[in-house]
Amino acid sequence: MNAIDEFSTISPNDSPNVMVVVRKLLGTNNLELDNQVEAFVVCRRDGRVVACAGLDHNTIKCVAVAEQFRGESLSLRLGSETVKLAAERSQFHLFLYSPPHNLPFFRGWSFYPLVEVPQLVVLMENSPIAIQAYCDGLREQRRQGSKIGGIVLNANPFTLGHQCLVEEAARACDWLHVFVVREDASLFSYADRLALVAAGVKHLDRVSLHPGSDYIISRATFPGYFLKDDALVDHSWAAIDLLLFREYIAPALGITHRYVGTEPFDPVTGNYNKDMEHWLQHAASAAPAITVIEVPRVSVRGIPVSASQVRRLLTRRDFDAIRDLVPASTLQFLEQKFSAAHNVTEEVGNQ
Amino acid sequence: MKVIKEAIAGTLESSDVLVKVAPTEKGTREVVLRSEVIKQFGEQIKQVVTDALDKLSVSAGSIVIEDKGALDCVIRARVQAAVLRGCSSEELDWRRLS
Repeated sequence: MNAIDEFSTISPNDSPNVMVVVRKLLGTNNLELDNQVEAFVVCRRDGRVVACAGLDHNTIKCVAVAEQFRGESLSLRLGSETVKLAAERSQFHLFLYSPPHNLPFFRGWSFYPLVEVPQLVVLMENSPIAIQAYCDGLREQRRQGSKIGGIVLNANPFTLGHQCLVEEAARACDWLHVFVVREDASLFSYADRLALVAAGVKHLDRVSLHPGSDYIISRATFPGYFLKDDALVDHSWAAIDLLLFREYIAPALGITHRYVGTEPFDPVTGNYNKDMEHWLQHAASAAPAITVIEVPRVSVRGIPVSASQVRRLLTRRDFDAIRDLVPASTLQFLEQKFSAAHNVTEEVGNQ
Repeated sequence: MKVIKEAIAGTLESSDVLVKVAPTEKGTREVVLRSEVIKQFGEQIKQVVTDALDKLSVSAGSIVIEDKGALDCVIRARVQAAVLRGCSSEELDWRRLS
């Protein structure tokens, strides 16, 4: 009864020996070590590692308590230490994924369920009010109409493909809501991407441009999107992101149709489009179905325009070729930003 | 005082309370209470929180209380700690904390 629990924080890279033990603990709980975890809270009892929890930016992952020590207050201390660690790293709005049967466990950590992929996974957040406050903000921007469209863009950078998609959707709808992915995990910063989209759609009436949020294709709601090289992109992640859109964002804004460009190149985005139709339109849900409209991607000289192509051309400073693929506002930005002095070596993100 | 940044105080353990404060967009003061004993003590907890906030003259901020059955003195202390952190308060009027 009087065992002494010691909690400590370790960085996976600096503590290979402890990580061997942590990996084993996770393994006995059918969990794998997630290599995105930046820090672990580890609990040792009499020197032995009995519980752990990992933190990847604002998402808690890899939580395990050795079976014989469950049902004590250990898990609540683990939760407190993890929340504290996150706060020290300036992360206050936290998310976690849990199998549905562990939901009561994380309710004890004051996490609240957001959406569930039945029998598979629940996304939870550590606030009883955050999603409602977010939706209240969206509701204030609701527009009248029977056909309300929605588009989510990463726009890395904003191309003619994006512009045509927005124009076509705007023509077909009474009002169109455009969201720009906020996560700064792409070659172009969020601020730059948002500015390029704003410049590229400002000639259109009946279009609202919305900032992104933690609830739209973010590291927390759709980790796979930002980890393209990893072949292990799980479909359930896309489901979570899409269910958030269907159950919270779309009802708040009255969105009835979601528009997306066809994706001939990128497998992750390609799968995302397929998942989109399933989760927004066909899957059972308390929220109304949203019609998914796939718009054929615009082509220049027979080749579909893609942001990744623009990024490739950018590594060679081939502005003549880029000129054909992007609106004038994007071209001007790229020419200013990438004067000969800079080098584009990064190849991150997509769309 | 206004909450100008996010901050926390307390723990999730039994008989404690986790208090989270954050700035509000509209500059209002909003208290949200979640408690395992809300049916028995909800009103009283709310009163303790309101008193603690009033004594520190907190006019703006979102204050989320995740109570695990803490005593009044614990609730008061956790609210004070979270608010003082969230307001980046340098100078303290100790009389207000009694």
